[in-house]
Amino acid sequence: MSKLEEILEKRRVSRRRFLNVAGTSAGAVAVMTLVEGCSDSGSTTTTTPTTPTTPTTPTTPTLTDADVLNFALNLEYLEAEFYLRAVTGSGLSSTDAGSGAGAVTGGTQVGFKTPAIQQYAQEIANDELAHVRFLRKALGSAAVNRPSIDLTNSFNAAAMAAGIGATFNPFADENSFIVGAFVFEDVGVTAYHGAAGLLTDKKNLAAAAGILATEAYHAGEIRTLLTQLDVPHITYANQISALRGKAGGGAETTLSASSIVAADTSSISYSRTTDQVLHIVYLNPTAGVVKSGGFFPNGLNGTITASAS
Amino acid sequence: MSHEEINQNIASIEENRSSRRSAILMGGAALAGLALGRTAFAQSATVTDADILNFALNLEYLEAQFYTIATTGMTLDQAGIATKGGDGTAGGAVTVKPNAKVAFTTPLLQKFAAEVAMDEQNHVKFLQSQLATAAVAQPPIDLMNSFNALAQAAGLGPSFDPFASETNFLLGAYIFEDVGVTAYQGAAGLISNKTYLDKAIGIHNVEAYHAASIRTRIFQAGSAVQIASQMIAAARAHLSGATPNDDIGVGVISGAATIVDNDDNGMTFARSTSQVLNIVYGGGPAGTGGAFYPKAMNGNIK
Repeated sequence: MSKLEEILEKRRVSRRRFLNVAGTSAGAVAVMTLVEGCSDSGSTTTTTPTTPTTPTTPTTPTLTDADVLNFALNLEYLEAEFYLRAVTGSGLSSTDAGSGAGAVTGGTQVGFKTPAIQQYAQEIANDELAHVRFLRKALGSAAVNRPSIDLTNSFNAAAMAAGIGATFNPFADENSFIVGAFVFEDVGVTAYHGAAGLLTDKKNLAAAAGILATEAYHAGEIRTLLTQLDVPHITYANQISALRGKAGGGAETTLSASSIVAADTSSISYSRTTDQVLHIVYLNPTAGVVKSGGFFPNGLNGTITASAS
Repeated sequence: MSHEEINQNIASIEENRSSRRSAILMGGAALAGLALGRTAFAQSATVTDADILNFALNLEYLEAQFYTIATTGMTLDQAGIATKGGDGTAGGAVTVKPNAKVAFTTPLLQKFAAEVAMDEQNHVKFLQSQLATAAVAQPPIDLMNSFNALAQAAGLGPSFDPFASETNFLLGAYIFEDVGVTAYQGAAGLISNKTYLDKAIGIHNVEAYHAASIRTRIFQAGSAVQIASQMIAAARAHLSGATPNDDIGVGVISGAATIVDNDDNGMTFARSTSQVLNIVYGGGPAGTGGAFYPKAMNGNIK
């Protein structure tokens, strides 16, 4: 009972919005259910194998859920910095980035001209900030700090590698911003899809699934918007897609008006291993051990930081 | 850090979430006059992976029929997609108005609709292949009276024809897609087999891509269509019986669009099979059905 009271107390302290009386009492019931659920791991219908096999990542059999969630947190830091800076000109607060957080290079407020695009951007920024906060709270003291992030040289390097040109500034205007967003979103979907298979705990899996579908909403939104823009932008996006595919084991669907969804021939979304995701965010398709580069000039923080192959 | 510690933290965080729906709820008046009630009922405690996949297959039959008819005027069987069960049982009838093919005038939307039809057909075929002889046949599906009843529930008027125009098609599609996302998220928590789980998550994502594209187009269609989406979200939330719920329509809150149907933690939510049935049955009783499934679903979860 003391654990429940502790949780309820935390809930009161950190609540961000006013909840009405009915909502609060319903919430109390939900807490009790969750607490009971934590101790009731012996359900006969949803038994989780104690040593789940994960054929896509045979080289990392000993990852804990905290390792996987911290891997996700690194990616959320990147997305949050990109969107927050695009919308507000400022990135994560020191509270949200952690003490000793790495520096962020680049990222300026986009001069939005279309209110709708600004509203889309604001929503995604809110979501990515919420993801950072959620994962940091879930991980507690085990949460890694924000690693160093580069939002200038990374996009230039990606543009060069993709054949778009010598430079690319996703903050230059609202259409460039949409292309910049495209760089991340489908990757987030595939990364979470892969990560879901690594998580051993059902509750953590449920949380990951909730973040994952949000990333898929973002990806579907960004891809829809790109099909409505002038040809150069969708071409840029597909050049980026090809680059991602080269670094990240394929897993890309060329974007067009009749292929909004990135999925395989069974209409099931792609999954990437942590290795493949690392090769993408480090902007280094070369097989082998890669520890840093691209968007993370000093590498990710945590246990999953270097590609094994 | 242990799973238990992470769990405890997550439990605490989830209690902090508040529904964005409360800030955008336009359907309050409609709810007061809600024509349909909702039925809470207990779900059987022991479900197998096959039960869950068959539950999903029932939903995919519905979505595939809707999009295939809207884009081609043909039912799945007419389009060459089998609706019979793995044991040979014939698929149920589809109730739909004659000549229901939507008169698309926007090529971008028409192409997207065709893409979604293909995806949903693929999901039907994939689940049928995975379930093999255990696959259920398509239950009887109603795409006419169901929309009329839900329109009344949402306060949109006495009738609603999702095939009448592009805008109506968007709203008809919208009714399904977010529900599909929440249904798969709920199902993911029930599946034991790792491979099935992986596939379910992959379909879950694809439904979210669909939902996002449809919601983006609703956003672009203007305030009247946005408000209709908010009224439908309110009706879905009420029918589901969930409290609190996080189902939000398309609009703007505090300068941010609401393309994503999620909560303040930036997370989409799960619905139990019972909550999903409450919605697609339009409040009809478990095992008896109603709305989209006038004779209930096929399989053990119905």
